[in-house]
Amino acid sequence: MDVLKTTQFHQYHSEHAKLTEFAGYEMPLWYTTTTDEHLAVRNDSGIFDVSHMGRFMFRGGPTASFLEGLVPTQVQKQSVGKEFYTLLLNDRAGIIDDLVILRLGETEFMLVVNAANAGTDMDHIRNRGPPEGVEIEDLTSSSAMVAVQGPKAQKALQPLTDLDLGQLRKFRCSETKVLGQPSIISRTGYTGEDGFEVIILDASNDEPGRATEFWERLTEVSKPCGLGARDSLRLEAGLPLHGLDIDQQTNPLQADLVWVLSPGKTGYAGSEAVSDLRTKTLDVVRRGVIVEQGIPRHGFDVLGGSDSVGKVTSGTFSPILRKGIALCRLRPEGTEPGTRVRVVIRDSAQDGQTVKPPFYDERQYGWKRQGNGN
Amino acid sequence: MKLQSYDIPDDLLYTKEHEWAREVGPSVRVGITDYAAKTLNDVVYVAPSKVNDEVIQFKSMGTVESIKAVSELYSPLSGTVTRVNTELDLHPELVNKSPYSEGWLVEVKALDFASDRKRLLDAKQYAAHLETLLKK
Repeated sequence: MDVLKTTQFHQYHSEHAKLTEFAGYEMPLWYTTTTDEHLAVRNDSGIFDVSHMGRFMFRGGPTASFLEGLVPTQVQKQSVGKEFYTLLLNDRAGIIDDLVILRLGETEFMLVVNAANAGTDMDHIRNRGPPEGVEIEDLTSSSAMVAVQGPKAQKALQPLTDLDLGQLRKFRCSETKVLGQPSIISRTGYTGEDGFEVIILDASNDEPGRATEFWERLTEVSKPCGLGARDSLRLEAGLPLHGLDIDQQTNPLQADLVWVLSPGKTGYAGSEAVSDLRTKTLDVVRRGVIVEQGIPRHGFDVLGGSDSVGKVTSGTFSPILRKGIALCRLRPEGTEPGTRVRVVIRDSAQDGQTVKPPFYDERQYGWKRQGNGN
Repeated sequence: MKLQSYDIPDDLLYTKEHEWAREVGPSVRVGITDYAAKTLNDVVYVAPSKVNDEVIQFKSMGTVESIKAVSELYSPLSGTVTRVNTELDLHPELVNKSPYSEGWLVEVKALDFASDRKRLLDAKQYAAHLETLLKK
């Protein structure tokens, strides 16, 4: 077996967490319990080491126009300081990866991609033939990345940075410093809650600078969370996980990610296939399902009446609802949100119904809730 | 006794799959060990066999689930389920908090516990088994 890669905070994880392998990295699965960490993020704040995620810096004159041809979302219209979620598509409009792009300057962009897909993404990007003048730098191993998430995230992070976080709106990013070290902070995350992702630059495993101190200072005011809670939180928020809920065989229409496709945009990788798909009837679509008893898991059958209407792509127990929840790939007709379905959990069909995620009540949880505690 | 942070009460019998058995009057009470509970990390759903179900020694008798994982339960003995711990419906976390008392799973009326028990481990044997597992 290959030796697992580690992050800048590995020493802390090995002393405090149950570790697991993820995308070639040894990462924390949980520190206390997944439920405990999950609820800390919904009610207070939690921190995640996401240094394993791929970080590619793009610089140079033609960068914006090159990226314009790469993704289905408008790039050049995004103002400096904006961050947006988008997709890399193959020729059949299958999803190679989902990612966020930070526009740091007129000709400077950061792409943050899934750890498991970083290599595939880079191959795809190189194959698109970046023009002369576009400089691509992989910053994954020379930077660290921490997500601070939850209604009290701003309170936890503010003392460690010069940036006035109150002025940083959702889906905005800014170059700044944390503990005096060059960093990029964006107001986003993968939990459904308000929060920030902090990229600490010039922080390799060998020379982490003040990155480890940053992590340890955060642990004093915010709960360290492992990949277990990261998965249950993203599922409760209805956010897809590439490799399970979406993949190269799933297109953005099936993935219920049509909103990512900027209206009228053409000329990007996969755009012809997307135009073609728009004229056709959708065969499957991503939907949420809540069950009354049991926990739905990947691959379980979903029934409408006695017919199979699709399968669970990922499922878990929701600590907020105290029920099993799942993202599913379902036949669109007859599974509209609010429809009664059943999920076959081992030998018995359990009652449930389809919903439009997030699974929680947005008046009570998530970044849109009333009064975010900061 | 204790192995690392794992409690292993001396008066129970164990399976290699980390269930315990205790004679309670005419029945045998069954649960999962401290090691199993800690490995699952946070039990959120318990679905053992139901009352009147027949169970067979070392065969599946339902599941215990954490947020991340499903774990099969194996019966330490053969017999008929007479009671299920319904407290766990609302408080599955009792399996973590108290695996050997409030977190018990089912009670089984044994067919022939005198024979079944010979195939179970005592605390010392279970501790040795666990030690081997933890070294791997």
